[in-house]
Amino acid sequence: MLKLLFIFGLAFLLIADIANADFSSLTLPRITYEGGNDNARPEALRSLLAQIARRTSVEVNREPIALKLSDPNLFKYPFIYFGGDKAFEPFPESDLKILRKYLSYGGFLFIDDNSAELDSGFDQSVRKMVARLFPQMPLKNIPRDHSVFRSFYLLNTVSGRAIVKSYLEGVSLKGRTVLMYSANDLAGAWSRNKLGDWNYDILAGGYRQRQLSIRLGVNIILYALTLDYKKDMVHLPIILERLRRYQSP
Amino acid sequence: MNGLAKIFGFDSEDYDQWQVNWAPEDPWLIAISLGLMMPLALWFFWTSLRRVGSKPKKVFLFFLRVVAFVLLLVILLRPELEFKKSHSLKNHIAILLDNSKSLSIKTFPKEVPRIDLVRKTLESNKEYFDQLKKDFQVDTYFVSDGIEKVSSRLKDYQANRPYTDYRRVLEELNKIYENKSLQGVFLFSDGADLTQEPGEISPDILKSLTRINGPVHTLQAGSNDQFRDLALESVSAPDFGFVQQPVSLSLTVFSSELGNRNVPLVLKEGDRILVSKIIEIREDQKEYKVDLQFTPRKIGKRIYTLNLPRFAEESILTNNQKEFEVDVARDRIRILHLNGRPSWDSRYLREVLANNPRVDLLSFFILRNMGDDVVAPTSELSLIPFPSNLLFDDYLSSFDLIIFQNFKYEPFIDKKYLSNIRKYVEKGGAFLMVGGELSFHGGSYSHTPIEDILPVSFKDVETRFIDKEFRPKISGDFSNHPILRLEKELNEEVWSSLPPLHGANLGLVANKDAYVLLKNESESPILVAGEFGEGRTALLATDSVWSWGFGGAGGRYFHRFWNNVIDWLIAEPETRRLQLESDKERYREEEQVLIKFKLLKENYQPAENITGKLTLSSRSGEVIAKELKTDKLGGQVFPFIPEQSGFYEAVIEIEGLQEKIMFSVLKDNAEFEKPLVNDFVLKKIAQVSGGQYKVLDGTNDLSALQFENPEIKVKSHSRSFSLWENWWAYGLVVGFLVMDWWLRRKAGLS
Repeated sequence: MLKLLFIFGLAFLLIADIANADFSSLTLPRITYEGGNDNARPEALRSLLAQIARRTSVEVNREPIALKLSDPNLFKYPFIYFGGDKAFEPFPESDLKILRKYLSYGGFLFIDDNSAELDSGFDQSVRKMVARLFPQMPLKNIPRDHSVFRSFYLLNTVSGRAIVKSYLEGVSLKGRTVLMYSANDLAGAWSRNKLGDWNYDILAGGYRQRQLSIRLGVNIILYALTLDYKKDMVHLPIILERLRRYQSP
Repeated sequence: MNGLAKIFGFDSEDYDQWQVNWAPEDPWLIAISLGLMMPLALWFFWTSLRRVGSKPKKVFLFFLRVVAFVLLLVILLRPELEFKKSHSLKNHIAILLDNSKSLSIKTFPKEVPRIDLVRKTLESNKEYFDQLKKDFQVDTYFVSDGIEKVSSRLKDYQANRPYTDYRRVLEELNKIYENKSLQGVFLFSDGADLTQEPGEISPDILKSLTRINGPVHTLQAGSNDQFRDLALESVSAPDFGFVQQPVSLSLTVFSSELGNRNVPLVLKEGDRILVSKIIEIREDQKEYKVDLQFTPRKIGKRIYTLNLPRFAEESILTNNQKEFEVDVARDRIRILHLNGRPSWDSRYLREVLANNPRVDLLSFFILRNMGDDVVAPTSELSLIPFPSNLLFDDYLSSFDLIIFQNFKYEPFIDKKYLSNIRKYVEKGGAFLMVGGELSFHGGSYSHTPIEDILPVSFKDVETRFIDKEFRPKISGDFSNHPILRLEKELNEEVWSSLPPLHGANLGLVANKDAYVLLKNESESPILVAGEFGEGRTALLATDSVWSWGFGGAGGRYFHRFWNNVIDWLIAEPETRRLQLESDKERYREEEQVLIKFKLLKENYQPAENITGKLTLSSRSGEVIAKELKTDKLGGQVFPFIPEQSGFYEAVIEIEGLQEKIMFSVLKDNAEFEKPLVNDFVLKKIAQVSGGQYKVLDGTNDLSALQFENPEIKVKSHSRSFSLWENWWAYGLVVGFLVMDWWLRRKAGLS
């Protein structure tokens, strides 16, 4: 009985801890789903949040959480991460309806293929899901003048643990990109263990590629938080001048 | 005549003329019928008498038939004999006296007003006009923008009509004399018809002149010789302008006989000089095109005055100043939005602002702090330096609203700039602080000018920000406050249906005169509004209202809430507790003005039975000051008839609130703006109509101006006798036919 009370007490504390996490600070929930592997890079989000906290003024809740699309708490978190390295089961229509509503009301979904393979099972599942989610709006390449490439760092390339595709794809609603999809296992490049070691090697690249992956991760978060802020006229002269001079290797 | 009088039995002295009238409805038809019938009838008459052997008898019978036939035809034409009496009528002469304002302008060198030249000319030629009146029917008219018949006495002759329009005058003159014999016209005028382009005369005027039989003698009052004047001839300014946006106006300065000199042109609003320009006046140039630009600083109807210096030797001084009105509105609401760090709260508010087409947004996010390690050179960052000196010194007044959202001013803004914000609000600006850990105490705003302008004071507390869920509740009876008005009906139910908030700034104590609109469950103020100087400020002591905008029904209310906050802070007219308006913007002279005002209590309910003071003043000073009491709906209406033209200001002061409006009572002084005599038009009128053109000096002899005077006879009475509708006309016809029959019987013919 005592054991049971202890477990309930511990569970309550954990729930209370989540509830007490700073409401307006950045939390990165990971979406769980049926089939496949929804936690292929378990330490990636914590690592990215640490980088966000280190590099930017954004206040973060360092511990990522896991959520189902059907979770009523979904609408407390305007940014969700959806990763995996295997094909997954199709979402029920009810979940897609929630997701559609979530995105149209201001939410942001970042999808990351952790398989580092072209046309992977995860990739195929994602494309089927997006086709059902927005039948009229297929995934499109995100152009290089998109705010995501200048929301914090000036970026000319799309990086990741493996450069499977040199571009990001996305879906935009009323001028706001609500969904971004990377095929390059960005989370694999972000992920490091508690001792500070990188969990996964960069394929066909090195330190610079990993740094660019982290920068892209930071930019994606900053885009979700500031949208097209960096396209305001006040920024343009300086940014354009820096872009002209800056050549990303 | 006497014989006829005897036959018809009337007095021959009653009539002096007679004539026969034919009255067929269609004489042409009868004439054509006769032309066809006559030869046929003659041929028939002659051939029917072929068996008559005796030629004289044959001719006599033919004669009888022809006479009978002719008599029948005459009866058909229904002749009448008319006796009438006629008398002679006088021909008309029209004297047109220009009574437009330009006739009051002085003529040099004697500095006699133009109208006096006309008066003197009429007096000095009194005998001539008296003689004219014996021979003609002389009618006198005042002419300007219309035509008005006047008695021969000219004591009412004043130069007071707004403008001259010859086209209209001549049209109306032609109408008056449509069936009369107008043998000539005198036109006493300065020719200053502003509807005519310089050096041109409109075809309508020429057309009207051709319809007048006699000559139009044009008598020019005044001349342009030695005409000294400096005038604002035409000012072209937009009716509408936008606050903080330059307004351009173009104008023409007219100068005559003022030599070479530099004169300052000054544009003022009240006593404040907005812009000035030196105009280099040269002897050989009369017109100077000037372009000016100024920037309205406040919204509403603004009255601006253009001034030129007045020189003692000028013909007319009133045209050295001109007022015009510009209705200054906000084109867009300029908002400076500073975010201490990117967060969901700041993102959602920015989205509201950026998507509002009324808002011109300048936002800054502090993306990195001093301690952050970006692991990249600056050249690889999109970050820009924060232009605090530009924002808080040079351009601060250009913003309608400044928002600090979870923003700690140090190290981005020098503390001295906080005083600028205080001054900015004091002068009518708006400031909003949105909560978060970096707001209020957390932003080190204690004992700074920001604490002064906010409607709260900061109390030292252990926990400055608590992350705890709460439901905000409307404080007191503020549910009708414009900020909280999410729905017209069931507003309180809407508020209670909104998702709960998380996190609140603590240690805020509302000022006495603050409006605490929302509180949390522990009575801490969450949404507080207040006034500071002429400006408004508000604070929202939470950083979680973004949750209203994310998902569910709250989204609509989230947008409405923020738009309400903005509207209230920038004091949009519908959010003002005291509202003052006039029923129109412009009035004619002697037209009634209705001034309406409405007072709402602090909770925006009608304030009944409150006495306020309404003051109406013109440029020359106070006109009316009256105490008025509000009715059940918090309003009152005051009717007022202005005695003078110009711009008026109405000020209502009530319960420490004050509102002002301006309205104008128009008087047309256009003729003073272009005061020159237009001799071209007068010469042309005289030339086209065959009249003479003279320049008046007060002693002109007009006796040489003569008019044709043809005799006009008019029938006074008459009497008619029918020549066909009587027994002897029919008897003659029958008699001839019977005689024809009898002769033929006697001759043995059938």
